[in-house]
Amino acid sequence: MTVISKSWNRLTLPGKVIFTALPLLGALTIGLVVAVVLLGGILVDLAAANLEVVRFLVAATAILLITVPTAFLIIYMEMKIIALMNLRLGPDRVGPAGSALSVVHGLKVLMKEDFTPTGADPLVFTWAPVVTYLASVMTLLVIPFAPGFFGQDINLGLLYFFAIGGLSVVGLLMAGWSSYNKYSLLGGLRSAAQVVSYEIPLTLSVVGLILLAGTMSLNQMVENQSGWFTSWYIFRQPLGALIFFIAAAAEANRTPFDLTEADSEIVAGFATEYSGMRFGFFFFAEYVNVFIVSALTVTLFFGGWNAPFPFPEITLALDPGSLGIGLLLLILIVPPLLTVIFAAPIWLVSNSIKGWQALLGGFVLANLFLMAVIGAVAFIGIEWVSGLLWFLGKTYAFVFLFVWMRGTLPRVRVDQLMDFAWKWLLPAALLNLFVTAVAIVVVS
Amino acid sequence: MSTTKQQPHQSTDDPRVTLDRDLGVFEPIPPYPTRTEREAEFYTLADGEMLINMGPQHPSTHGVLRVVLKLDGEKVVDLDPVLGYLHRGVEKLCENADYHQAICYTDPLEYVSALFNEWAPVMAFEKLLDVQVPRRAEYIRVLSGELNRIASHALFMGWMALDLGGLTPILWSFIERDEIVDMLAALTGQRMLFNYFRIGGVNGDLNHEFMSRLGDWMSRATEQIDNNMGLLNENEIFVRRMRGLGTIDTATALRMVMSGPNLRATGVPFDVRRAHPYSVYPELEFDIPTRSEGDCLARYLLRLDEVRQSIRIIDQCLHQMPDGPVMAKLPRLLRPRPGRAYAAVEGPRGQYATYAVSDGTDQPFRMRIHDPSFIHLQAVGVMMPGHLLADTMAIMASLDPIMGGVDK
Repeated sequence: MTVISKSWNRLTLPGKVIFTALPLLGALTIGLVVAVVLLGGILVDLAAANLEVVRFLVAATAILLITVPTAFLIIYMEMKIIALMNLRLGPDRVGPAGSALSVVHGLKVLMKEDFTPTGADPLVFTWAPVVTYLASVMTLLVIPFAPGFFGQDINLGLLYFFAIGGLSVVGLLMAGWSSYNKYSLLGGLRSAAQVVSYEIPLTLSVVGLILLAGTMSLNQMVENQSGWFTSWYIFRQPLGALIFFIAAAAEANRTPFDLTEADSEIVAGFATEYSGMRFGFFFFAEYVNVFIVSALTVTLFFGGWNAPFPFPEITLALDPGSLGIGLLLLILIVPPLLTVIFAAPIWLVSNSIKGWQALLGGFVLANLFLMAVIGAVAFIGIEWVSGLLWFLGKTYAFVFLFVWMRGTLPRVRVDQLMDFAWKWLLPAALLNLFVTAVAIVVVS
Repeated sequence: MSTTKQQPHQSTDDPRVTLDRDLGVFEPIPPYPTRTEREAEFYTLADGEMLINMGPQHPSTHGVLRVVLKLDGEKVVDLDPVLGYLHRGVEKLCENADYHQAICYTDPLEYVSALFNEWAPVMAFEKLLDVQVPRRAEYIRVLSGELNRIASHALFMGWMALDLGGLTPILWSFIERDEIVDMLAALTGQRMLFNYFRIGGVNGDLNHEFMSRLGDWMSRATEQIDNNMGLLNENEIFVRRMRGLGTIDTATALRMVMSGPNLRATGVPFDVRRAHPYSVYPELEFDIPTRSEGDCLARYLLRLDEVRQSIRIIDQCLHQMPDGPVMAKLPRLLRPRPGRAYAAVEGPRGQYATYAVSDGTDQPFRMRIHDPSFIHLQAVGVMMPGHLLADTMAIMASLDPIMGGVDK
C-alpha cells in the first residue's frame, strides 16, 4: 500500500492525469468496440427503419451546436469591425488578433453568479432566456445551407419561419415581466410593440415573392434562383427586399431599432436583471438572430447557396485505384518533395535561418498547400462544399452590413419606429404586393 | 435563486422602512415623511402613471444625477431631480485655503473644461489685489482657454450621439479631444485638471512641444471637425430625433437665467466675452453665433459654430501674441485689501462666475461659485414633461451639464 501511495505521490500533476486517463480511455475503447460488435447490427437496422427520425435528430443537434461558434464568430466580428470603424484597435490580446476573446467572454459568462432578484418570479425568470434562445435556434431548422444541408424541408418553410421567429418576443416579454424591475418591463413592452408592428410589413414584403415563386418551401425558392445572378429575386422584388431587410433588422432588435435594450435609456431593457449564463442565452440569441436574418435575406433574395454564375461542370476523373503501385510511390514521394520545395526559398532567403527551421517552415507550408488543393478539389467536385461556401460568404456579407449599421447609426425613437412601420413600410409592402400581382396577371 | 427571504412589509427601496402594507414594484415609495406639498403631489400617482428612478447609477446621466421620473406609458409627466451625490463643499474648502490654493479646489468642478474654473477665481482675486496681468499672459490664457473650449465641445458632441445610441461619434470626438488635451498637457503638465492659471499670470510660457503640436493640429482642425461631424449632421435619424426636442423659448430661457450656448440657441446673442469684455477679447475678432429654434438640434449645431469661432480666435492669438513676461511681480503671501470682487468668464457651458469677499487675511472670507451647469439643469423641469423617456437623456445631454459643477 505504501509503495503504491509513494509512487503515486512522486508523479507530477500531468503524470497523475495521464496515469488515470489512459486506463479509463482503454477501458472505454474496449467497451465501445464490444458494444458496437454486439449491438451495431441492431442499431443500424433501427436507424435504417426510422431514417427520417434519425436524420431529424442529427440535424437538430447539429443546428443546436453550430449556433455556438456562429455566435462567437459574429461577436468577434462585431467587436473587431466596430473597433476599426471607431478608429481603435479592438480585441488583440487573446489568440491571434484577439480572435479567442469571444470564447473567453463565453467562459466568463458561464462563471458568473446566476442571480435572481428579490421579488422576481423565479419560474418565468428562468425560462425566459430558454424560450428566446430556442425560438431563434428553431428557425434555423428550415434554412437551406447547401444542397442537401438543411434541417427539414417543410413545404411551408417560410410560414414556419415567421411563426417560430415571432415566438422570441414571448421570451422577451417573460423576461421583462418577471424581473420585478421597471426598466425590464419597459424593455419587454417595447419589444412586444416593436416586433408585433414589424411582423406585418415583414410578412407582407415576402408575399409578392411567394406569388412569384409559387412555393413557400425555402429549398424550392433557392432552386428557382439558380443560374446567372440575374435570376435572383432581388432583381424582381427590389422593394420587397428592402422592406424585408429593414423589418428584419427591427425583428432582430438591431441598431437603429435596438430600442429593447437601449442602454442609454432603459439600462439593458429586458436583460437588466439577468446575469451569468441566463444573460448569455439572451446574448447568444441576439447574435444567432443576426445570422438567421442575414441567412434568410440571402435565401429569399440573393440566391441562397447558388453561385452568382452557372458553375462550370467539371468532373474530376479521380480513380486512385488505377494508379496501382504509383499511388504508393505518390504518397511516399510527394510530401517530402513538397516540403523540400517549400523549404528551399526559406533556407535561401537568409543565412540566419537554420536548416531544420527551414524544413519546419516548408513542412507547414506544404501542408497548407495540400489543404488548399484538397479544398479546391472539394469546392469544384463536391456540390455541397461550394454551396455552403457561397451561402456562408453571402450571409456573412449581410452580417457585416448589420455590424456596419450598428457602428454608424443612432437609435430611432419609439414613436418614430411605429410611424415608420405603419406609415411607410406597410403601404410600401402593400404596393409591392399589388404591383407584383398585377405583373403576374399581365405576363401570364 | 435569491438567498435572502424578503420581509413581508419591508420597502424594497429602503430596508429600514417598514410599511403598513406590502407595496408592489409599481407603487411609489415616497421619502418618509413627505417634506413639502410639492413632494406629496409628485408622489401621488394618477391612474396609469408610474415612477421610475433614473440614476445616480444610470449609464447616461453624465455623472451622478438622479432623476425620479413620473411616466405615463413612456411619456414623462413630471420629474424630480435629486442633486448632491457629488457634493464636496468646494466653496467652504476655498475659505480655508489661501488664495493660491483656492484655485486648485475650483479646478475639478467642471472637469472637462478645467481652465475656465481657474480663470474666473483668478480674475476675481486679481481684481481684489489690483494686479495688472502681463499682456502675453492674457493672450496665453485666451489661447489655452479656447483650446479647452473646443475640447469640451468635442466631448459634448460625442456624448450627444452616444445618448441617442450612436457608438462611433464619441470615439471620434475623443480623438479630437485627446489631441487638444495632449497639447495642453505639454503646456501645463496635466491632461485634465491643469492648475495652470496663477494670480497675476500663468504658470509657464509657451513651449516648443505645445507650439509644434498646436501648429500640427491647426493645419487640419477645421477639416477634421467637419469630417467627424459629417457622420451626425447629415444623419436623418439623428436630425429627426433632435429637431423640435426640448424646445425652450427666449423668455423662459432668460427667466431660467440660462447663459452660454443654451441661451444663444434661443436667439439671444449674449456672450460674456462681448457683453462684459475681459482679458484681451476686445482686441480679437470673432462672431457670436446664434440660432432661433431653441431645440436640441440648435444647441448642438450652435456648439459646432462656436468651435469654428474658437479656431478663429486661436489663429488670431497666435498672430498677435506679444513678447514679455507671463507673470506679474507679486509677493508670495497675498493679503488683498478688504473688499469684494466679481468676475465672470464665458465657459463652454455658459457664464462661469466667482464672487470673492476678502477680509484682509490671506484666505478668502467667502467664495461663491456660479456654475452654469447647475443653472441649466433647472430648465430640465420645463423641457422634459411631454417628451418620451428616450428623449430625457437627449435633452439632458443637449444642456451639457457636468455633475462636478452642479453639486460643487
